[in-house]
Amino acid sequence: MSDLLRAPAEIKYAEELEWLESVDDSPKPFSWRLSPKMVRLFILGSERSDGLDREISQKWYGDRSFVERSIVTLASDRGLLLIGDPGTGKSWLAELLSAAICRNSTLVVQGTAGTTEDHIKYSWNVSMVIAKGQSRESMIPSPIMTAMESGAIGRFEELTRSTSDVQDALISILSEKYISVPELDSDGIVFAKPGFSIIATANSRDRGVNDLSSALKRRFNFVRIPVVTNKKNEVEIVRFRTEELLRRHQIELEVPPTLLDVLLQSFADLRASAAAAGSDDEKLESALSTAEQIGVLEDAVLHSNFFGERALTARTLASSLVGSLARREPEDLAILNKYLHGVVEPRSKEEGGSWPEFLEGGRDAIATLS
Amino acid sequence: MSGTHEGTFQGLRAQLQEAAATFADGPDALEGILLGIVDDVDRAVREPLEIFPVCHHSPASAIAMARRLREKRPKVVYLELCEDMAPLLTELRNCKLPVAVQSFATEVEGFPAEWSPLSVVAPITEASAEYQAIAYALDTPGVELVLVDRSSDHVFQWDARGTESAEPADPAAPPAEEEATLHGDAVGVEIGDLRPRFAELEEYLLRHGKVRHWSEWWHQYVELPLGDSDHDTYRQVMLLIGSLFRRLAPGDPHRVRVDEDRERYMWTRMREHLAAAGADPADCLYVCGAFHAASRVAEFGVHGTDTFEISPPTATTWQHGLIPSSHAAIEAQFGLAAGSVSIAATVWAKNLGRTRVEPFRLVGQVGAKKSRARKAVAAAAAVPALPPSDKLTGFLRQTPALDRLDEAELLGWSVEIVRAARRNGYLASTADAIAVFETSILLAGMRDRTRPTPYDFQDAAVTCIEKDTVPGRRDVRRLVDIMMGGDRVGQVGYDALPPLARDVHDRLAPLGLKLQQSGVRRALLDITSQPELERCSDVLWMLRYLMPQGVARPIMGERKLGERPIQESWDLALGTHQRALIELGYEGVSIEQVLEQRLRRLAYDRRATAASVLEAVEDATLYLRSRRLADELGTHALEVLSAERSVDGAPEVLRRVRRLLAYYRTSEAVLPPWIESFVKTGYAHYCTLLPTAFTDDDATVRQVAAMLGFLFSMESLALSLGCDRNQLELAVVQSHPEEPSRTALLWAAQVHLGRLSRADLRARCDELLGNPLVVPAYPRYLSGFVHALDPVPGLTDFVVEAVSNAFGRLPDPVLLPWLPTLITTLRSGGSELAPLLIREAGRTFPGRLAALDTWVPPWRAQPEAVRPARPVEAGHGCALLAAHPATCDAVASLLGCEGTWETADSGPAGVALAGRHPDTAVALEALLADA
Repeated sequence: MSDLLRAPAEIKYAEELEWLESVDDSPKPFSWRLSPKMVRLFILGSERSDGLDREISQKWYGDRSFVERSIVTLASDRGLLLIGDPGTGKSWLAELLSAAICRNSTLVVQGTAGTTEDHIKYSWNVSMVIAKGQSRESMIPSPIMTAMESGAIGRFEELTRSTSDVQDALISILSEKYISVPELDSDGIVFAKPGFSIIATANSRDRGVNDLSSALKRRFNFVRIPVVTNKKNEVEIVRFRTEELLRRHQIELEVPPTLLDVLLQSFADLRASAAAAGSDDEKLESALSTAEQIGVLEDAVLHSNFFGERALTARTLASSLVGSLARREPEDLAILNKYLHGVVEPRSKEEGGSWPEFLEGGRDAIATLS
Repeated sequence: MSGTHEGTFQGLRAQLQEAAATFADGPDALEGILLGIVDDVDRAVREPLEIFPVCHHSPASAIAMARRLREKRPKVVYLELCEDMAPLLTELRNCKLPVAVQSFATEVEGFPAEWSPLSVVAPITEASAEYQAIAYALDTPGVELVLVDRSSDHVFQWDARGTESAEPADPAAPPAEEEATLHGDAVGVEIGDLRPRFAELEEYLLRHGKVRHWSEWWHQYVELPLGDSDHDTYRQVMLLIGSLFRRLAPGDPHRVRVDEDRERYMWTRMREHLAAAGADPADCLYVCGAFHAASRVAEFGVHGTDTFEISPPTATTWQHGLIPSSHAAIEAQFGLAAGSVSIAATVWAKNLGRTRVEPFRLVGQVGAKKSRARKAVAAAAAVPALPPSDKLTGFLRQTPALDRLDEAELLGWSVEIVRAARRNGYLASTADAIAVFETSILLAGMRDRTRPTPYDFQDAAVTCIEKDTVPGRRDVRRLVDIMMGGDRVGQVGYDALPPLARDVHDRLAPLGLKLQQSGVRRALLDITSQPELERCSDVLWMLRYLMPQGVARPIMGERKLGERPIQESWDLALGTHQRALIELGYEGVSIEQVLEQRLRRLAYDRRATAASVLEAVEDATLYLRSRRLADELGTHALEVLSAERSVDGAPEVLRRVRRLLAYYRTSEAVLPPWIESFVKTGYAHYCTLLPTAFTDDDATVRQVAAMLGFLFSMESLALSLGCDRNQLELAVVQSHPEEPSRTALLWAAQVHLGRLSRADLRARCDELLGNPLVVPAYPRYLSGFVHALDPVPGLTDFVVEAVSNAFGRLPDPVLLPWLPTLITTLRSGGSELAPLLIREAGRTFPGRLAALDTWVPPWRAQPEAVRPARPVEAGHGCALLAAHPATCDAVASLLGCEGTWETADSGPAGVALAGRHPDTAVALEALLADA
């Protein structure tokens, strides 16, 4: 585990999953490794009332019903499409679901403008075809086909980024649950085993780039994941991800709760101002998602660890915030400048605490960038 | 229930004690709470006056109530509802439920004035325990219904407004729909408010119950298990829940105090009634929220202490009525989940069929299905009271009762939602119905239930049908709400309406429309062929004035002074806005009376201006045709005008007085005395204020122009009434404006008064245009001239000339920035002046393009044409006259003039005059000689 930069969920939580499987006596659909209730418990964490001998930590933060609806969709005949703004945890939820259900979250196709049907179905190992001819051996199955053959969950990231004809290749996979390989004379059909399903994610901001056909929409159940606005949940997410990050980098550095508050508050302010903005020029280009907050914190932590005094300060946090969010010049810088002077300055006078230092850091960062 | 059994709950106590010891490692607060709960239940159960705990909008409570009333047949029913609302309850039968009983007060005394109007509503639905109690008590002979809760007045007396902050609104909540705002901003009271008082407890219950909101929790964990339970179990469980919430949450101390005071109030009232009526407590039933049933105040019980003193009501006059309510309004008012009241109504209907309990229903209840019920009285005989036994232990121990899966029902729902989704633009198919069915069962399974609740079904439908966009007006969640019973909007029947509302409906009856029903109705009034409809038109115009927008909207037809309606068409939504009409009914018995009150209030308001009072005069004439009121208000307008020191309202005053004058001149033989005095006073008033207004920075050009307009256009009338023109002339002389637009206005006034000739005015303007230092200010002079069109319409041609000169001669840097200002000024301030200008310009400028080349502006053509021509012309005329003297002689003889013909060039003009009238010359000579 330690020799992987980022272990997939099924490796990272292997021990927990093993244990859950050993105590799970509820009926399981198809070839699922855990029952739906256990999958939910794995993702949302355990309560005392669940009566388990050990505590299961919460791994995804959000409304319980989203998780339940997702699990139930996977147990039904349809694929699952997680849709939402960037940074809302769609891919993380997909990974956790796959890990819990089939212990394999790596059967992933990444949707891009360059994704072709071969990436979804299969391609050929040309040298083997020349040597041995077209056979199952010389065929290179796509992750989706591998998932079908093993009755696992296949993942399709950023579905709407791939072109419409490529997307539509999924229609037959989702309804007939087989892929035919016309090049093979015999054994030319690959059937899906029970347990196969697809979790796709789509970015709601990219909707319209390649809109899904209604035939494909019909075969997916949509679960919309909203941006986390609940402060309590957001604190949990940021803390959870930061701890994981610090552990990964083997950094021993304390994130003071007051600084976490400053970070959350500043994002909340910027979101409010983006919501009130009239045009795109008046709001930051960034979606201001929770993932972005984690990004800012990560940047600040790494900076303090390697270049600073091994302690996170409000000044470093402010310069990371400005550095991460200022993407367009001069629009984003102007907005951040306005925010610092219009919101942070009065607050630093009223409340004090870390805010004056945060203000200073922000000003310096803007001055450097301008 | 009179038997007292000390050991009833002994077993339970022991168990709880043991549990407390196990979980909390010894006797402590937990034990106190657990045993306290049992004590509360025990005490309430042993109370000689039977307490019936209920929860609002709970079908289980309603069923248990119906069942209990049939069994016990109490002679007195005490109900937790504001005591002053009692007389209205019998009117419920004339209404389609849900409706709300309302107490309303506009004139408050004893409360801060800004609280006005005060309004308390108590919504009543058919699926509620209180309706069962009301229907039983009102329709069973010999049964008395006594409302015992604090009066509406006390609701506000005990209110802590201002000390507590408003609860933050849920940001995710959708904007309120029309049905959800039916109660307006009234304070809601309800029977049986039962909800954890601190957020953590509720959150905990929701999390562990695996449900989304409180209504769902209640449905799942209380409603379903209690659905078929017997009376004792029901009562003990409800008491237990009430006590649990009470003991676990001390909460807001003010709220707790109000709750306890209410309990003291209710028990005090009940004891008073028992003593006065001499009723046996065993024959009575006290219906209250489970929260209040677990009370620990000293006044609790028939034998409680009489230490609570009920404070006297304030002097506020309360009016009572019924207003329409809706499920959405109830949910919004009491913070329930959307759709929960509708679901409760559906469950109630289903439970009735399943349990075969016969509900009580008021005789003649509007909107109810024909009841197959026999007379309620004929039902089962009263059951003898049994000593209470411990039902709690069994209930708490039993595993949750799982409702069996009702496949047919779920299939029906699935098919229905797909159909509804298709109607609303979703691409839903039979495959979706299958998926919804399957997903509902899977979801319910994940949430530990066999039978999907409506909420599970809703989640499943959203999962399977909702895609990335909502194609129509409603999303799937809302469609499920509608399918599960939808919102039901109540209606107050004609007989339960206040006199004013009934009167309105009676007077609009000739229109032949079903105005009581909700929705918009189109009324067509052809008054020429049906003169009797003119009265309807009067009513409609008054309604339009008095009621919120949308109640009565004229599509065609208008009401203006001096005009008679011919044809009108209206969009009427009286049924939809029934509450507004009913609340209007609290203000008076007829709309005329209310309108008169409102107009009077408006006119005598502290902040009333002459303009607003004149508006009231106009409205009184327009809508009420009341000369009496118009005269009274007019006289008041006079007083207000004399006291005014600013000229802000001048344009409005001018407009209104002109209109009223025109009206009185055409419709009355003599002008009303007040308007004559008004003109007289106004003349003197504005003369006095004119010099100040010309220099005052706060007064706008438009206002000063309006003052001049008043003075010039009312001049003849004012002079005939004894005003002196000198006053005006002096006022103009005293005016020394500095600002260019006002200066221009003053010049125009001077031209009107003959103190300045047009030639001089033209010369001044030329001078301005010729002076590079003043040119930038020229547009402002022009703006003054444009405003002068109103008081001095004779200057129109001059204004056209000035504007044309501006276009011709102003340098671009001055002209171009000014153009937008000119256009906006003309559009906003000069809409009535623009046509005048355009007409004049049309007259001045050539109509065709070809004519433009040879066209010379009249103001430029004049000097060349007129000046050199004058002597020539004089010569021409004289020569002609001399050549043909006959005509002139004939005219002279006809007029009786005597004289002889003189030669044209006998000397400079005027010499003849000097010769004929030498006195002046002689006097001048003497004067010069003296000097």
